[in-house]
Amino acid sequence: MRHTESDLRQFLTEFGQDPAGGEPSAHLDAIVRRGRRIRRTRRALTAGAAMAVAVTAAGLVNGLPAGPPRADKTSVAQRPADSAQVDPGPKLPASFPVVLGAEKFDLPLAYSQRFATMGVGRTVIFTPTSFSTGYKVVCDDPQAWVVIEGRGKGGEPSGTAGRCKTPVGGHHDQLSAPTDWLKHPQSLQIWVFPADASIFEAAKAVKDCKPTLKSKGCDENTVSSALRLPEVRERLSAEVGERPGNWAVGVYDRPAGAE
Amino acid sequence: MDDGFAEYVAQRHLRLCRTAYLLARDWGTAEDLVQTALAKAWVAWRRIEGNPDPYVYRIIVNTHASWWRRRWRGEVPAESIPETADPRDPAAEVADQAAMWSAIGTLSPRQRAVVVLHYFEGRTLTQVADIVGCSLGAVKGQLSRALIRLRVDPDIQAMNLERVQR
Repeated sequence: MRHTESDLRQFLTEFGQDPAGGEPSAHLDAIVRRGRRIRRTRRALTAGAAMAVAVTAAGLVNGLPAGPPRADKTSVAQRPADSAQVDPGPKLPASFPVVLGAEKFDLPLAYSQRFATMGVGRTVIFTPTSFSTGYKVVCDDPQAWVVIEGRGKGGEPSGTAGRCKTPVGGHHDQLSAPTDWLKHPQSLQIWVFPADASIFEAAKAVKDCKPTLKSKGCDENTVSSALRLPEVRERLSAEVGERPGNWAVGVYDRPAGAE
Repeated sequence: MDDGFAEYVAQRHLRLCRTAYLLARDWGTAEDLVQTALAKAWVAWRRIEGNPDPYVYRIIVNTHASWWRRRWRGEVPAESIPETADPRDPAAEVADQAAMWSAIGTLSPRQRAVVVLHYFEGRTLTQVADIVGCSLGAVKGQLSRALIRLRVDPDIQAMNLERVQR
């Protein structure tokens, strides 16, 4: 060996000196200014990333893959974008046919929201642009059960329930929409239960599955009606839990000022 | 926000600059490196528990490696001519040190960091591993390769390090 470790140590000590003899001085103000700049940049990046994640996770673009929103959380629906579909989830119809007596027209899709789990309640918020507002739920499994709850003319609960293949949805017009329909954002509460959920047992346990005018005994019409009861839904949600299952809700509306 | 940061800077700035100089081999770059590291440390100062040295050194090492990767290295100016100095030359001692300095400059950033932290800063290899963020075995490997490289470097082989000792 030509040299030892202590040689190297001594060499580094000697060379680690400023050859000019002047010692570099610390500029605390400059360091702190630089630190503040780094912090601002990081915060801006974090905010930008969070916004990007939020936009993606919202998954409100019709046909785009959506991260599963958390159970029993409110989701704000967004306008569908003109982008290519990349998610093979259930496809929402582009329009909602309306027949009001002799009047027939189609409502275009205004908002949509996709979900990847079922068994829990969801709240979808949207801003109507007219009194003619329709909504429809589509599912990967047409046999899944769907319950939609909204508000009626006087603010009373109003909704529908049934197998997803029906399809399940509804429509407001000038006579049925709440008076404040256009004054602020509105919401729909939606539950989708698996096809094999114990709907009949839950309905019987809560309501004794009493026949309705449309039903003969305890049939699907009866349990559909029973699903409108919060106790039945709560019992089912507790029993089923949150499980995978794609479904989507579309809100159809006339463009603002079209009425 | 202070919480001892100003005191830390006042006490450790010079030492940090010297370490950074051995890594970067340029005083201007070294001061910039230290200022960058201290600015990053200032951002996280309240989250640093205990001795901030390992944290600050880690920033210096990583930042230097980052800068080194971005720097163009197609042509590296040398402080000494490649010819071997005559050991009997009165100027051989200075030439030897320059050769050693040049040889250290040929080490990779990670190898240089290990050498500087261990031999200049006096850190144990375990502490070095913590600072550079790799296993003790990896540090030993880096150090071993660095020492071998220094010893087999043509400039080093020609120099007379015994004369460097004072």
